[in-house]
Parts: sequence; C-alpha cells; structure tokens
Amino acid sequence: MKSVITTVVTSADAAGRLPSSSDLESVQGSLQRAAARLEAAEKLAGNIDAVAKEGYDACIQKYSYLNNDGEANSTDVFKEKCLRDIKHYLRLINYCLVVGGTGPLDEWGIAGAREVYRTLNLPTAPYVEALRFIRDRLCSPRDMSAQAGTEFRALLDYTINSLS
Amino acid sequence: MLDAFSKAVITADAKTAPIGGAELDALKGFVAEGNKRLDAVNAITSNASCAVSDAVSGMICENNGLIQAGGNCYPTRRMAACLRDGEIILRYVAYALLAGDASVLDDRCLNGLKETYIALGVPLQSSVRSVNIMKAIAVAHITNTNTEANGGARFRKMDTIDGDCSALAAEAASYFDRVAAALG
Repeated sequence: MKSVITTVVTSADAAGRLPSSSDLESVQGSLQRAAARLEAAEKLAGNIDAVAKEGYDACIQKYSYLNNDGEANSTDVFKEKCLRDIKHYLRLINYCLVVGGTGPLDEWGIAGAREVYRTLNLPTAPYVEALRFIRDRLCSPRDMSAQAGTEFRALLDYTINSLS
Repeated sequence: MLDAFSKAVITADAKTAPIGGAELDALKGFVAEGNKRLDAVNAITSNASCAVSDAVSGMICENNGLIQAGGNCYPTRRMAACLRDGEIILRYVAYALLAGDASVLDDRCLNGLKETYIALGVPLQSSVRSVNIMKAIAVAHITNTNTEANGGARFRKMDTIDGDCSALAAEAASYFDRVAAALG
C-alpha cells in the first residue's frame, strides 16, 4: 500500500541501491508530519460513532425524501445501512490518516464506487452532504488541534470530490 | 509492500474497526523513535560493503573447500555472484528495517530463494552462516558495541550515541533470522 516509506523503498529497489541519505530524509520529513495525522486519527477513532451519526442525521434532514416509501432510507434495515456507509467512509479516512496517503480510500472506497451506487440506484448527493456537514462541524481546538483538523478536512474533501 | 502503518491498516480492516488505542500508541512510538530507526538503517547502509565482504570471506575461512576447484566460490566469477547475493540480502533487510515490516523482505527477496539456491546447487548451510555474520555486524553497528578486537584493521564505530538504537538491534536481528529461517 502506497505511503512515503513504501514509495521510497520501491524506488530504491528499482535502482538496486541501498537506502541513501536522501531516502532517509524523505522518510524523516513524513515522520515529522505524522504527529498531527495520528492525533486526528485518534480523535476520529474515539468518536467515530457519534461523528457518523451526526453526518447521517444532517444528510437525512436535508434529503428528507429518502424516508419516503421505496427510497434509500425508508426501512430500519436501510437506515442502518446508510449509517454504516458513512461510518465506513470515516473508517477509511482514519486509515488514510494513519498511512499518510490516500491508498486505503482509493483502493477500498473509491475504486468501483460509481458502478456500485449506480447498480443499487443510490444517490451520491446525501453522502456528500454528510461528509460536508462533518467537515464544517469540525472545530479546532475543541475537537482536535488545527494541524490535525487540516489533515482530516483534506481527506474529507478528497472523498467529497470523488463522489461529486 | 507494507510498512508499519499500512500493516496496522490491513489488520484493522480485517476487523472493520478504526485504528485507535493500543495500535495507534504503537505507531506513535514508531514516529517518536523515527530518528533512531533512520540511524539504525544508516548503520547498516554505511557499512554495507564491509559487512558483505566480511561475511563472505568469513564463511570461506571456516570452509576452505568453497574456494577449491569444484567449490561454490571457485572461480572468482562464482565468488562475485556470492558477494552480489550477500549485498542483495543486506539491502532487503535494510528496506525492511526502514519500513518496520518484513513484507518487502518476504515478497521480493525470500519468496522462492531457497528453491532457487537448491536448483543452482548453492550450499544453504554456508549461505546461512554468512547471513549470521552479517547479522552480528549489523547488530554491533546499530548498538554501537563494535570493538577493536572484532573489527580488526577495519575497525569502525558509528557517530551515534552508544546504545541509543539498541531497541532496533533486536528488530534488525529478527529480519536476519527470517532470512536464515527461510534458507534453513
């Protein structure tokens, strides 16, 4: 899975050389930024259920037609699945924060998403609304430090862009 | 290929759980000790050619048959292949130590190595011996416990604080043990 360290190792391996001092410098640079990412991952992991619920409530409030008969949020089973999907995106964002790259989102969240949503006849706008709400609701330093918030928001935006 | 971070992600994904608590604390430790890890990798890479030549010549000293006619390090063409392989193994151990995960070593170096060596008639016991010499050299340089008696004419000590990277010596040793186990 793509991260700064695996990228460095892959390029060193392609050239058949030992890790050079510039390779070590790039790893060092990534480790320096890691503290903020890991803080965001920790805060998100600690409150992932509440954050997902807030985002879910916000998007259902905006797109209330989803509660109508036959729509995507009409039954209890559907409601549970909608909430699960939002939590799923947040979990992948948590992974991306840990890895320091978009690998987990790309491989497990975005690849094939368009085909799946089309087949299941699901609208993507509510997902965007839920993620947007979570992004705008985020407040530093109440929820996490400013730098950690920046890292988290960047990944929320990345997910929103992929769904738009 | 995985590193310490993506390894945690793969493990957490199998449980569909976010990463928090103890796993995250372990990664924070990885970040906090990051400089020591880089120093440890540097201790291996800076002494790579010395370690490889010592390992291969040590292996031959203990078993002179290798450089007699019919031996696997005779003539120079085959000894050169042996030196090259030693350097490749050391290189993948350095990658694994940098990544904090053995997957790069397993996937790109050890997978099929034993079968290849058997097919080529390379003596596995001698290969394991030279890996173990490289392990001793790497550990001595990472912990900075190299002595003049061990180092001889090419004695060298790293600039890092003595024992600063000791925690990583065990990890580096485990990667060498992995190579030895794969060949054994």
